[in-house]
Amino acid sequence: MNSSGAAIVLSAQGLTKSFGKRQAVADVSFDLYEGEVFGFLGPNGAGKTTTIRMLVGLARPDRGTVRIRGLDLSRDFAKAMAHVGSIVESPDLYGYLSGRENLLHFARMLPDGAKERIPELSRLVALEERLDDKVETYSLGMRQRLGIAQALLGAPDLLILDEPANGLDPAGIREIRRLVRLLAAERGIAVFVSSHLLSEVEQMCDRVTIIHRGKALATGPVRELLDRSSSGWTRWRVRPAERAVAALAPFAEEPPTSEDGEIVNARIPNERVPSAVAALAHESIEVYSVEPRASSLEEVFLEVTGGETV
Amino acid sequence: MRFFPLVENEVLKLLKRRRFRVVFLILVALIGLIVFAQVKGRERFLSGKDWRVRVQERIAGMQNGVRSGRMPKTAERWTRFEIARLQYHVDRDVNPDAITGPLFVRLFANASSYLLLPLLALVFGSDIVSSEFSQGTIKILLTRPVSRAAVLGSKLLALTLAITLMVLSGGVVAYLFGGTAFGFRGWGAPVLTGFRLTGEAFDVATVRSIPLWKETLLVFGLAWFASLTVGALALLTSVLLRSTAAAMGTMFAALIAGTILPRVAPSWEAQKYLFVTNLPLPDYYSGSPPPIPGITVGFAVVVLALWSAAAILAAFLVFVRRDVLA
Repeated sequence: MNSSGAAIVLSAQGLTKSFGKRQAVADVSFDLYEGEVFGFLGPNGAGKTTTIRMLVGLARPDRGTVRIRGLDLSRDFAKAMAHVGSIVESPDLYGYLSGRENLLHFARMLPDGAKERIPELSRLVALEERLDDKVETYSLGMRQRLGIAQALLGAPDLLILDEPANGLDPAGIREIRRLVRLLAAERGIAVFVSSHLLSEVEQMCDRVTIIHRGKALATGPVRELLDRSSSGWTRWRVRPAERAVAALAPFAEEPPTSEDGEIVNARIPNERVPSAVAALAHESIEVYSVEPRASSLEEVFLEVTGGETV
Repeated sequence: MRFFPLVENEVLKLLKRRRFRVVFLILVALIGLIVFAQVKGRERFLSGKDWRVRVQERIAGMQNGVRSGRMPKTAERWTRFEIARLQYHVDRDVNPDAITGPLFVRLFANASSYLLLPLLALVFGSDIVSSEFSQGTIKILLTRPVSRAAVLGSKLLALTLAITLMVLSGGVVAYLFGGTAFGFRGWGAPVLTGFRLTGEAFDVATVRSIPLWKETLLVFGLAWFASLTVGALALLTSVLLRSTAAAMGTMFAALIAGTILPRVAPSWEAQKYLFVTNLPLPDYYSGSPPPIPGITVGFAVVVLALWSAAAILAAFLVFVRRDVLA
């Protein structure tokens, strides 16, 4: 249980997988709790999909265990998987069947009651009107939503989504984000979301594990990790920028840099910001705005790896 | 988890795809073509109305031979069957040399058993697992609370049903077309069966006379069994190669090689243990000389059964263990 008393739904311990000589995933461990959205963040090729394949039993780990609701996946596969719904890599369904036929197909692979959830779930993912059209006529966003409906057919405790925003337009991404938050908040589902986009994880997830070259670098609440890496970076809109660089230098922890003539990035601790503003005003440099600069995935990596680049 | 809904899924997927309709259309078109060719051939063959006279002459000739007592015992047995067969036709006012609807069905079963039906069986079989890989649906199929063995088992059963349905519909279509062209009656006609080639001569000692319907069922059963073996092997290639095109190509090549091999290398004896050499079961049953000495219908059935069992076992072992990464 975590601090708020929620139970563990998924526990991965020491997952390791090699392909030939290449170690794709090395000793990755994490726990997921009821009702939380958990981000699995890393660049493409970091080992996210390989990890997910081990979580759902598509690939066998060389070492390590996956427990779902306490059931060992390698020993109680069917029982453990009854708690899981997933989309691995892309929402692939039968194109020559309609949305409804796809859902019926996968409902037949589940215990009784799955079929009765189809109307409710198609409403939830807003596909009611197109449910009897063939899936090959669906847009990627619709397939993604049908994939989520499929994953929810068995009323799972754990939902695993692999790069759910991939290939979606901004409206589609917003819709998925809303759905994920809703499922976690209202149904207490633990949602595992992999992504290579920091902003996506930031907006969707409660906690995050950062994975890089097969290794889990850090795990923690999203804000904490972001703050760690962005500490003190500020973004100044000033004119003229060249003089501001010089004026801000005494307050900054490393030499400030300017970009495209109006913007200066400087690493200035919070408490020094007012005096920095006063100094600029004193030199008649026009200050239009000062804001904390959002850190990029690269910077998070720099911070957690201590300088190793992506 | 019950097994039946899984089979229902697999059968539905087979039937819903264009593939199934295409195979059925191929069957219908081919049978139509054969019937047409038969009709054209018969027009020349049946020009005279004096068949009765000629058949009665044949009967009389054979009766004389039997009465003379100089005939060997085995030949006499065969001759008596043949006389009875001809007499049966004369009594019913049917030309024994003319084709009937039921005879056409029997002909079709024989002709389709070693290439057409196995080819169609491999079209289903080579697709049944690999299509899930190429569509990506294998990732959902194998992450449901169902064991992998049950998933493959349901596919095997669905494939068996589809092949059975295909052989059955081949028979029904052949009867409909053949019956329309040549008449629907004649299931009771006796046929002589059980010839065996010993050395250079036909051995007629084991000849039996059975009604045509029985013979047709037997031949269809053998064709069905040969198709199932091809289905099992196609299932294995489908599991191993995970690509429909590759699986189909491999199986096509094997089937074609099997029809060429006995002709180019008849002295290679070990090929009688290959599955392709044993596919023409109805031919071996009706006593055509086997391409390699030592093949009888019993031998061929056993060899095919062993190939099927090994293919199914290997398919299960690989499917249950292998990581799904693509």
